Amino acid sequence: MKLPDFSYEAPATVAEATALLAEHQDEASLLAGGQSLIPLMALRLARPAVLVDINGLDELSGVSVTDGRVTVGAMTREYMAEESETVAATLPLLASALPLIGHEAIRSRGTLGGSVAHADPAAELPAVARALDAEFVVRSQSGERVIPAAEWFEGYLTTARHPDEILVEVRFPVAEPGTGVAFLEIARRHGDFAVVGLATSLTLTDGTITDARLAFSGVADVPVRATAAESLLVGQQPSAELFTEAARLAAAPLDPPADLHGSSDYRKKVAVALVRRGLRAAADNAHERQ
Amino acid sequence: MTQIAAQRYTGVSVKRSEDLRILIGAGRYVDDIKLPGMLHAAFVRSPLAHGRVLKVDASAARALPGVVAVLTGADLDEMTVRGPDPLLAMMGGGGPTAEYSLLATDTVRLVGDPVAVVIAESRYLAEDGCELVEVDYEDLPPVASAAVALDAGSTPVFANLGNNIIGPHKRSEFGDVAGTFAAADRIAEFHLDVHRHQNVPMEGRGCVASYVADSGLLTMHAATQSVHVTRMGVAACLGVAPDRVRVLAGDIGGSFGLKIGASREELAVAAASRALGRPVKWIEDRGENLTASGQAREESFDVRAAVSDDGDLLGLDVSMVIDTGAYPVMGTMVPSIIEAMLPGPYKLAALGFESTAVVTNKASYIAYRGPWASETFVRERVLDLLAKDLGLDPFEIRLRNVAPRTSPPAMMITGRPLTGVTTRESLQRLAQLVDVPAFRRRQAAERARGRYLGIGVATFIEAAPGPRAPEGSGGALGQESMRLRLAEDGIVMLFTGQMPHGQGHQTTLAQIAADEFGVPFEQVRVVIGDSDAVPFGLTGGSRSATMTGGVTLHGARQLKAKVLDAAALLMEASALDLEITDGQVVVRGDPDSAIGVAEVARQAASGRLGADVDAILEVEATFDGGEGGWSGGSHCAIVEVDVETGIVKVERYVATEDCGALINPAVVEGQIRGGIAQGIGAVLLERSAYDQDGNYQSATFMDYLLPTACDIPQIEIEHLQTVPLDADVNFRGVGEGGMIVAPPTVVNAIEDALAPFGVRIYEQHLPPARILELIAEQADDDAAASKSTA
Amino acid sequence: MTDITVKVNGAPRTAPVEARRTLADFLRDDLDLTGTHVGCEHGVCGACTVIVDGRPVRSCLMLAVQAAGHEVTTIEGLALDGVLGPLQQAMRDSHSFQCGFCTPGFVMQATAFLGAHPNAGEQEIREALSGNICRCTGYQSIIDGVLLAAERSRADVGSDG
Repeated sequence: MKLPDFSYEAPATVAEATALLAEHQDEASLLAGGQSLIPLMALRLARPAVLVDINGLDELSGVSVTDGRVTVGAMTREYMAEESETVAATLPLLASALPLIGHEAIRSRGTLGGSVAHADPAAELPAVARALDAEFVVRSQSGERVIPAAEWFEGYLTTARHPDEILVEVRFPVAEPGTGVAFLEIARRHGDFAVVGLATSLTLTDGTITDARLAFSGVADVPVRATAAESLLVGQQPSAELFTEAARLAAAPLDPPADLHGSSDYRKKVAVALVRRGLRAAADNAHERQ
Repeated sequence: MTQIAAQRYTGVSVKRSEDLRILIGAGRYVDDIKLPGMLHAAFVRSPLAHGRVLKVDASAARALPGVVAVLTGADLDEMTVRGPDPLLAMMGGGGPTAEYSLLATDTVRLVGDPVAVVIAESRYLAEDGCELVEVDYEDLPPVASAAVALDAGSTPVFANLGNNIIGPHKRSEFGDVAGTFAAADRIAEFHLDVHRHQNVPMEGRGCVASYVADSGLLTMHAATQSVHVTRMGVAACLGVAPDRVRVLAGDIGGSFGLKIGASREELAVAAASRALGRPVKWIEDRGENLTASGQAREESFDVRAAVSDDGDLLGLDVSMVIDTGAYPVMGTMVPSIIEAMLPGPYKLAALGFESTAVVTNKASYIAYRGPWASETFVRERVLDLLAKDLGLDPFEIRLRNVAPRTSPPAMMITGRPLTGVTTRESLQRLAQLVDVPAFRRRQAAERARGRYLGIGVATFIEAAPGPRAPEGSGGALGQESMRLRLAEDGIVMLFTGQMPHGQGHQTTLAQIAADEFGVPFEQVRVVIGDSDAVPFGLTGGSRSATMTGGVTLHGARQLKAKVLDAAALLMEASALDLEITDGQVVVRGDPDSAIGVAEVARQAASGRLGADVDAILEVEATFDGGEGGWSGGSHCAIVEVDVETGIVKVERYVATEDCGALINPAVVEGQIRGGIAQGIGAVLLERSAYDQDGNYQSATFMDYLLPTACDIPQIEIEHLQTVPLDADVNFRGVGEGGMIVAPPTVVNAIEDALAPFGVRIYEQHLPPARILELIAEQADDDAAASKSTA
Repeated sequence: MTDITVKVNGAPRTAPVEARRTLADFLRDDLDLTGTHVGCEHGVCGACTVIVDGRPVRSCLMLAVQAAGHEVTTIEGLALDGVLGPLQQAMRDSHSFQCGFCTPGFVMQATAFLGAHPNAGEQEIREALSGNICRCTGYQSIIDGVLLAAERSRADVGSDG
């Protein structure tokens, strides 16, 4: 399973990278962590003519907080985000999802930006980004665009990034006080992609749910927000009956794909269970944080 | 117990000598071999399950810089001799013979069927070259299941066979089948399916073939379970005498039955090396390994059981269909072994057995650790299903049916004596270790809280090597040979045809020889992996503990006697007064007389001891298995099933086992645990999946799922006090047992967990989605039933 | 082809490589360090695990050119003149392995993990090693070896204190 041939570029700056993308457009692929792209190339399913290795772009790595917003550089390695005290303090949902990404060796190289730009609907970070209404900042030679998560994920392995653009950072809102989170997955084995996954975030104010986020992985070709369930939850007090009804609402519109690991019907059933469990865990965590 | 002269090493978990190299990365696996001028091979493979090959155009590939040659199926057909797979050739078979060329010429018969081989300066370039080979195919209707293959109208996979039945239907009866069934209180009927899964060692197949024109010799660096079977296969294919081929093997990264003889690809690489006069390396990648190297276990069974109201299993009548895939290897041999083993350790009075073997457009059915394992699955599943019908506990029904250990021993209805079988003891000890009543209380309490725990038990016996055959023509597994030599440096060398691939023979055999001959463990060297140097042998069938352990024991005695005869001349003493301790020959009671064994060897080599003493102190020993015997055991699993997600967790796994005397307990336990892990993997994770067009769907490790450290619990193992059968050799094999009995153990536990839902399980693969389906289907059946009675 | 220089097991190693050559193939074929094994080439089995800049990495998912200027440790780098290091000794004492093909990947992953988590318990070790696949052992003996190494290392620290 040897890689096919390609032309290799290793730009030293973002400007050099965007120049290369402007020149090669969709003939080029960006090589970030490589943990998704290189297997696809080994299977000869992906064959970019030009590989632009952006691992030298140190300027794209790092986590910072300004004005209630957390900015995560696209080349921030998953293990660094996992070890980051800033992430633990401000983005508990991201912090809870990171350990579920593959295995330690994958997280040594895998990057936050690479994962959301690759946009595998069964991956964890796209669901987290979708849940938190993250903003994706892309840059090209013509300038920068900011794309909200709802518009970023367009289809299977497809995002709103244009071929001449590079994702430079992802911005998340700092979690409000009183927020509890849970990232739960049903996976065949520890570390596998989710058959169905769920990012859950609940904010409680005086015992009432003031914010609810539910985003599935593995149920469509993009991460899916359960907006009907979220609407039901806001303004209510947590209870088993409420969560059961929310689970029903969340799963009802789903028409998940079938594959070797689960039928469509199975994924829908599991989605129901995950929502109930996720909401219960998030509600418990919210009380702990307060 | 086994009578060994000085038991210092045998029975002890002596640290492995293999570990000194593998732990520092100094193992030598076939992909580590680099020869001057070596080229690399890659195969052009069919994307279709079934098709005619209309045209192969390799011109663009041949023009690619770095590509040295492209050999099509037609090219290779001209330079090789057509013949059966080497394992099939060795074990015989009978039945219709499929005719086919080495690589596909006019027909491709599975996705991944090799059509041409590209030889290049690197594997990277060889794969580039493969993409440039243009092949025109014409689709043929895929024979993608046994059901299709059984249809007389299905397109024959092999034109010369005329249909897709490669093992024509045959039936045997043992005991009075009709009478037993007529007299039974009740007849139960089941259909059971075992799914396709596969060996998947961490190292795939591979070889470096090196033909030297000057000498006309081909050296095959192989990953194989027998250098001799590989040699026979390569020589036959190349149309040369076996002495024109030398097979060398070093460290092998696992096999579990995959690497026996030589596959079509390896034979093609050997032919390519001869054609080019240069070494050619082929290392299969994981995609090839999963898709084309071979698979196993796809069998279905219609079972009728004759039962008494008290739970006696009186008779079984079983009809089996086995899907042997495309190119014949082992599939047609499996039904007769299943037939022979079906009664297990039970008092079964009658057995009817019939089988049909079909070819399909799937990977070949090859040997996989306990190839006949489905007999245990069928029997142990049936016992649990009957227990439920009759309201009996699973331990209870088994203990009721186990044949008593009598003298003379009880006979399996299929003809073998159950000599020394300790099934009753293993079940009873297992029940104690598990404390079933306590579990049942916990199970009930957890059910009330909505958690579903289950317990499953299963028992098995394995002919490792099996009891001595009554005709006296030799043991059940034929003779084992070994050459033993005392070298001039004092090293005791054991030349064996065993080809360990994880079993630790270089340690275990040295333990026995050291004890029996009288040298320190470090003074024994086990020589393996050279067809020019070692006698015939094969590592497989769980044979080595008895056969090779036994030939080592007896051979070491014979060598010792020879050495003492020589030493007697040297020391001017009677051989009867001499002993060997710690590598020193000494006159009993006179420690000052001691001389090193090296000195004896040197004196013999010098000729000074006279014409009656061989210059090389060496013996050729053979062993027929002695009294042999059965291995076996009883396993128990406790599982928890999450009925909302179908996820199964194995909480606890306990095995009581009887393999006679243990050479190295850590090695024994490692074999058992590894086999159990494969069994758990088969039930919860592993499936070689094809769609209805014969497209293979489990071609990467993202889809063919192997168990990880989070999937296999601590496995508790207790060894039983065994029944010694032989005066000297009571080691029995354990290589395959874990994999044979773990699947029904786990399935039985899952069914027990789902008992409140009324689920009955008639299959072996239970991924989460299937668990939920079973619960839902049972609920639907119950709803329909209550509606119809309403 | 470009010449790259990578610090491997403490020594700078230079060789010409194509961009598409993986780090695994570079180590095995260009540098003759065949201790690192290739088991799947798509990043799942962990047999190819090496340590890059202190982190465990699947060498089949890195290009050799990406390692230029970085520090790589392979299993050959753990041997002290061919003698087993403490983790390897503990694994030998525990009969951790059988065929040995998965061994280098496990040893490197365990080395990296224990270095960062010297007091890890059994469950944490199982999870940390769950990205390495072994087909022979059922894992228990490997876990035992790692636990034993951790225990001995703590005892050593205690006795030096």
